[in-house]
Amino acid sequence: MNKEIVKLKDVSIGYGKNVIISGINLTIYDNDFIGIVGPNGAGKTTLLKTLLGSLKPLAGKIEKASLRFGYVPQRDIVQPLLPYTVYDVVMMGRFSLMKLFQYPGKTDKEIVEECLKSVGIYFLRHNNYNSLSGGQRQRTLIARALAVKPQILILDEPTNGMDTPSHYSLLDLIKELHDNQKLTVIIVSHLLSDVANITKKLILLERNFFQAGDIEDVLSEENLRKTYSSNFLVTKVDEEYVITSKHKEQQT
Amino acid sequence: MNTISQLIELFPYAIMGSVLAGIICGFLGIFVTSQRVVFLGAVLTQVSIAGVAFSFLHLINFEKLIYSLFGTTVTENSFLHHSEPAFFSLLFAVLTVLVFSQTYKQKFLTQDGILGTIFVLAIAIRIMFIQKSPVAEVSEIETILKGDILFIGAKEFYTLLIILFFTVIVFTIFSKQLSFVTFDAESASAHGLNSQLWLLFFYLFVGVGISLTTRFVGDVFAFAYLIIPSSIGILLGRRLWQVFVIAIIVGAIIPPISLYLAFRFDFSSGPMAVATAFTLFLLIYGVKKIST
Repeated sequence: MNKEIVKLKDVSIGYGKNVIISGINLTIYDNDFIGIVGPNGAGKTTLLKTLLGSLKPLAGKIEKASLRFGYVPQRDIVQPLLPYTVYDVVMMGRFSLMKLFQYPGKTDKEIVEECLKSVGIYFLRHNNYNSLSGGQRQRTLIARALAVKPQILILDEPTNGMDTPSHYSLLDLIKELHDNQKLTVIIVSHLLSDVANITKKLILLERNFFQAGDIEDVLSEENLRKTYSSNFLVTKVDEEYVITSKHKEQQT
Repeated sequence: MNTISQLIELFPYAIMGSVLAGIICGFLGIFVTSQRVVFLGAVLTQVSIAGVAFSFLHLINFEKLIYSLFGTTVTENSFLHHSEPAFFSLLFAVLTVLVFSQTYKQKFLTQDGILGTIFVLAIAIRIMFIQKSPVAEVSEIETILKGDILFIGAKEFYTLLIILFFTVIVFTIFSKQLSFVTFDAESASAHGLNSQLWLLFFYLFVGVGISLTTRFVGDVFAFAYLIIPSSIGILLGRRLWQVFVIAIIVGAIIPPISLYLAFRFDFSSGPMAVATAFTLFLLIYGVKKIST
C-alpha cells in the first residue's frame, strides 16, 4: 500500500452557505490515478479547489502532507491579451517556488526545458501562446504545472473542446506522466468513458451523492443511475469500458 | 522652427512632464488593458477629480488633523494646505480600488456595471461638491480640477519623475508576480501565490499612479494614454518586452508632438494629445489589418 498523502474526513464542500456535497470521506495515496466525474454543476471543480486549498471546506477536516500541487486549469479561462511565449508561460510555474526578490536561474531554465520536452512541445517554445491550437495550449499548461515539480498533478477538464486526435493524444500524455514520472494524478472530466479507461480510481459526484473507490467497484450501473439520474449500460470490450445510454440501446 | 523654440522656451516643464506622464500611463495601461478593466482607468480619473473637488469643500481641516495626530499645535503650513487636493484625490482612488477589488466575489452584477455606477456617481458628486464649494466659481474650479499639461511646472515635473521611478521599480521587481497573476490568477493561487493580495497590490498601485497623474495632466489625457499606447503595444509587440517598449515609446513621443500641434494650431493641449495618439493608433491598426 502506498503512502497516504491527503485525507478528507467528513468534509462538506460548497460556497458560502451553499453546501454542494457533505460527508466526504476520501483518502488519496501516493501514485494514485483518480478520475472525478459527474454532471455539470455537481461540484467537481469545487472539490478540486477544496483539495488545492483555494476553498476552505465548509465542515470536516482535510489532512495533507506537505505537498506541492501542479494545477492545470480549464483551458478556456486562460485568454491572455499579452503576447506570452510558451517558454514564458511554463516559466511561470517556477515563479511560485521563488522568493520575493529571486529571479529565474540556470536550474529553473533547465527544468522548464525539460518540462517542455516531456510534453512534446519544446519546438514551440518561442511561439506565442495565443497562436497555439487547443491541444498545444493544454500541453503548455501541463508543462507549467510540471515545472512546479509537483507531487500531485490536478487537471480540470483537460480535453474540453478538443478535436478527436488531440483529445486521445492528450489522454495518452497524462497516462504517460503518471506511469513514467510516478505522479499522483487527479483528473476532472464530464466524459465518463475517458476517465474510466485511463484512471485506476473513480470518484462519482452529484449533489449530495459521493462515491469513491477502485474503478471496478464504483463503475456500476446503479451508481451511474444515482449520479446522472439516467440508465447506463456498462460493458467491457477488449479490456476497455464502453458506457452507453440504455435509452439509446432501447431505441436501436 | 520658431514655434518649437517658443514652445520650449515657454513650457519646458510641460514638454518634459507630458513625456513622463505618457510613459507612466503607458506602463499602467498595460496592466489595466491586460486585466480587461480599461473602464477602471476612466473611473479612477473621475474619482480622483471628485476627491480634489471634495477637498475644496474644506469639510475636513487637513492641517489640523495631521497636527492633532502628532499632538502639536496648528500653524499655517502651505505644504500641507496644498497637499489637501492630492490627499483626497488619492484617498478616493484607493477607496474605489479597494471596493472594486472585492466585487469579483459577488455574482449579481458585472464588473462593467459596477464600474459604470462608480463612474456616474463620481461625476455627480464632483458637480455637487463644486456647487457647494465656498472658495471659487464653478467654472474656475472645473479648470483647476481637470488639470492641464501646460500648467506642469518644476514641482509637478519632479513629482511625475518620482511616480515614474516607482512605477518602473514596481513593474520590474514584481514582474514575476505581475505576469503570473495577470495571466492566470486561479493557477497562480493553486501554485501558492496569493493572487488576491498581489492583484490588490497592483490595483492599488495603478490607482495611486492614475490618481496622481490625472491631477497634473487632466482626465482626458490620462485615460487616453492608459489605453492607446498599451493598445498599440499589444497590436505590434510579438513579445511581452516589446509591448512595454512600444507603449513607452508611444507614450513618450506623442505628447510633445501633440503639444507642438496644439500650440501651432491653437487647440487645447489635452484633446490634441488624444487626437494625435488616436490618429497614430488608427494608422497602425489600418496597416496591421491590411498586412494580415
